[in-house]
Amino acid sequence: MDTSWFTKAWANPQALSDNLWLIIALPAFGALVCGVFGRALGRTYVNLVACASVLASFFLSVFAFQAVAADPSVIVTSAANGQPLRFALSGDWGVWFQAGSFSAHFGLWVDHLSATMLMVVTGVGFLIHLYSTAYMEHDPGYWRFFAYLNLFMASMLTLVLADNLVLLFVGWEGVGLCSYLLIGFWYTDAANAWAGRKAFIANRVGDCAFLLAMMLLVLTVTAFARAPSAEPPAIFFAQRRAVFAHAATSEPGPLNFKVLEEFAQYIPASLAMGSKGLLGTDIPIGPLAGHTYGHTLTVIFLLLLLGAAGKSAQLPLYVWLPDAMAGPTPVSALIHAATMVTAGVYLLCRMAPLLVMSPAAMATVAVVGALTALYAALLAFAQDDLKKVLAYSTISQLGYMFLGVGVGFFWGAILHLVTHACFKGCLFLSAGSVMHGNDGELNIKKLGCLRKEMPWTTACFGIATLAITGIVPLSGFFSKDDILHGALHTHLLGYEWVMPTVFAIGSLGAVATAFYMSRAYLLAFTGERAKDAKVPHAHESGWVMVAPLVILAALSIVLLLHGFPGVLKTPAGQPETLMEAFLKPVFGVADKLAVEAHSLEPETESNPWPGFVIALALAWVGGAAAWYLYKRVFPARAGKPVPAVFAAVRSFTVHKFYVDELYDAVLVRPIKLLSIGLFRVVDEGLIDTVLVGGTGWVTARIGSLLRYLQTGDVQAYAAMMAVGLLAGVGYAIFEVLAK
Amino acid sequence: MNAPQLIFAGLAFATVFSAVLVIAARNPINSAMSLVATFLFLAAIYAQLLAHTIAVLQVLVYAGAIMVLFLFVIMLLSLTHLGEPTPRPAFHQVVGGVAAVAVLAGLVMAILRWHAMAGAGRARESLLRFGTLEQVGGLLYTRWLLPFEAVSLLLLVAMVGAVVVAKPRI
Amino acid sequence: MEISPVDTQNYLLLAATLFCTGMLGVLVRRNALVVFMSIELMLNAANLTFLAAARERLDSTGHLAALFVIAVAAAEAAIGLAIVIAVFRNRGTVNVEDIRTMKY
Repeated sequence: MDTSWFTKAWANPQALSDNLWLIIALPAFGALVCGVFGRALGRTYVNLVACASVLASFFLSVFAFQAVAADPSVIVTSAANGQPLRFALSGDWGVWFQAGSFSAHFGLWVDHLSATMLMVVTGVGFLIHLYSTAYMEHDPGYWRFFAYLNLFMASMLTLVLADNLVLLFVGWEGVGLCSYLLIGFWYTDAANAWAGRKAFIANRVGDCAFLLAMMLLVLTVTAFARAPSAEPPAIFFAQRRAVFAHAATSEPGPLNFKVLEEFAQYIPASLAMGSKGLLGTDIPIGPLAGHTYGHTLTVIFLLLLLGAAGKSAQLPLYVWLPDAMAGPTPVSALIHAATMVTAGVYLLCRMAPLLVMSPAAMATVAVVGALTALYAALLAFAQDDLKKVLAYSTISQLGYMFLGVGVGFFWGAILHLVTHACFKGCLFLSAGSVMHGNDGELNIKKLGCLRKEMPWTTACFGIATLAITGIVPLSGFFSKDDILHGALHTHLLGYEWVMPTVFAIGSLGAVATAFYMSRAYLLAFTGERAKDAKVPHAHESGWVMVAPLVILAALSIVLLLHGFPGVLKTPAGQPETLMEAFLKPVFGVADKLAVEAHSLEPETESNPWPGFVIALALAWVGGAAAWYLYKRVFPARAGKPVPAVFAAVRSFTVHKFYVDELYDAVLVRPIKLLSIGLFRVVDEGLIDTVLVGGTGWVTARIGSLLRYLQTGDVQAYAAMMAVGLLAGVGYAIFEVLAK
Repeated sequence: MNAPQLIFAGLAFATVFSAVLVIAARNPINSAMSLVATFLFLAAIYAQLLAHTIAVLQVLVYAGAIMVLFLFVIMLLSLTHLGEPTPRPAFHQVVGGVAAVAVLAGLVMAILRWHAMAGAGRARESLLRFGTLEQVGGLLYTRWLLPFEAVSLLLLVAMVGAVVVAKPRI
Repeated sequence: MEISPVDTQNYLLLAATLFCTGMLGVLVRRNALVVFMSIELMLNAANLTFLAAARERLDSTGHLAALFVIAVAAAEAAIGLAIVIAVFRNRGTVNVEDIRTMKY
């Protein structure tokens, strides 16, 4: 059998490289058409244009994925060090802007990581577009919705395909904007608009940190590129160093990911030469002179973490995500489950070669992720709104991904990202289907017995719930527990206490996840219909809405293959999963660098099954607890007053631990007061009244005083001339003739 | 003090006296006549300065034509009987007066500090011909022809302008 | 007799006195014609200065300047008096204090 069909690219790689921009341009064009002509085109055509553009992007992504995954002859030359790179497509469309030694290019890059993200974004995106055509069929603003959704797709694809941090930031901002637009889609209700605003501002705080990190990174890399040649790495990589120096200071600019990866290569190399290493060296030139490279890198990554925390809703910037549920449900599914919130994880994975050079930053990432995972899970316990439960669940699962990144388990984080996109997307779409069938009701206490009335939705929701709680044999189990297993068995040097801590927190979070998801399922889908339900009988949604649900649920099951341990074996004899092998060209560099730089020790425990069994047991414990409480204890206690302690705890949890109120008092209110003060005192008082009005007043007063010089009497004017003449004579005597 | 200095002193005193009379006389006719006297004394001084042509022209043009014009106008406007009652001087008049006196003081101080340039008179013209009509005329029609023509144009314009302005109806 | 028997300074002092007398008249007197006459006085003082300098340097250019001054003074007197007549016709007075249309 001719297997070359699998090892040759289906489309010409060069043509694909040159036309990568189409992947972004097609949804952008769709956005333009829907936005400008949408109202005139009518519902059918708008749906068609929107879905078709995303579908076309999906097909292009499939071709790109296949070319990159299968064909070993796809080679590009890295601009950073002149070496050839396999399994990547790249296109560069010239310089975007240049300032001195800094330049940013319009460059797109597809490697295994980007290809994975491409498939997730375009695939899930297309399914959700399809779903939205049915979901929004009664909404008058449908053309606006699809325009924003397509614009979002274009921005997210820019983010994923960018080959440098600057272009990534463009996509980053773009998705933030689209998130704002879509959350506040029904803006006639002020609460929705405020929710959109909150999302935008929280994102902005993160963006500010991101920008600072980029600037520091530029300074660091260019300082290194221009450093005196007596540095040890210079001897080591002489020729490569010259290419790198050129790359970092003129083409293609210091923020290109390949350039950053090359920069990371020099750090362990410097250790090999016996000096205290690049990390301990002071930066020689520029505004950062005097600080060591190591400290600067840590600061940069802490800032990047803050930026990622803003976008991916981690502590302390998660507050916008629950409020973002005010937007339409497809938006929640696409943006706040599958794609935008994963941008932070993607960013940190892209920066992996440099990230592993800073164990402090990695420890922070892991701890933040773990704490967020547990924290959000606890908050989800008391939520009655189904979408809010799912929102906190998203925050929690993102915490797991950050945990994975923080312990150096990058492929695990990406695997969890992919599986999470599938099952969380499925969960959100099911919630939307529930809303559709129950006249907009989302309070799980007011639903119930949907199992009989909405079988398909129930089945998909059930499968996705099992996936997220980590029940065998679904994909969520493997991805989440791969992370926890990896957390326990890799070692961050210098921060050994982090591993057991995050493992413990993560496991607690897993129990909590099982608990609240089971609670949601049990209350909403099983049992009897609630007495105060809006609609006595729910109806199942049409196939246009159910089909994406089924597809995503199926994917939730199928993707377990990627996480199943022991499927393949590394050359060293260690078992590895499909995903790990697939992402090895990308993260192998980071792993190697981590080992060489002595910041990370790889996983030593090769048998994951004992850990898996424990994890499974924990999940069962959580689920059983939920079943017991909500099926036995609470119905038995119905009608009896709640003990004060539990009521207080529940109230505290329902109010989200009063964090929003805290932020409001500590941050928002002082800024508002400052703004009002500046407005009243500085703008109105000082500038308008004193400076502008005052200038006018003074001029008018002087004018009315000088008026009196116009006596109309010629002799008076002549007298003034005489006085002037006197002055001239005096000058002549004293200055000229006296000398 | 020799004779020229004595003559100069006398003439100077007379000139100043009549100049003061010009500005101090109540009746404008008296002012005009004093001005004529001033011009005549000045012509004498010009003659002492060997500026013969100018001295003659001073008498002919200034004292002869311009002052006649003044007298005509005074008589035309019947101003002879207008003796102005002198009210209190206005502020600008006081300022002007003080300024004039101060300027005088300053000019005197400046002049007293002025020293003659060494090697006076580069063009050693003959003193016999200095200031004569041939001398002045010769310069006027050769080197200074353009200003001469310009001044004659100016006089033409002045004539036309005076007629136009003074007519009651054009 | 190359050097003037009378010091040039004396002539200049006389000229200054005449000039300032004329200036005083211009600034203090209210009758327009007297003001005019004072202006003529000032012009003569300038003439005297020119001629004294010409005598000092034995350069006839000063005489020509004085000639032009006289010519221009004549033209100016003609037009100025015509204006005085026109103003008298309009206002009935030649008192400069009474002509104040440009007052604020």
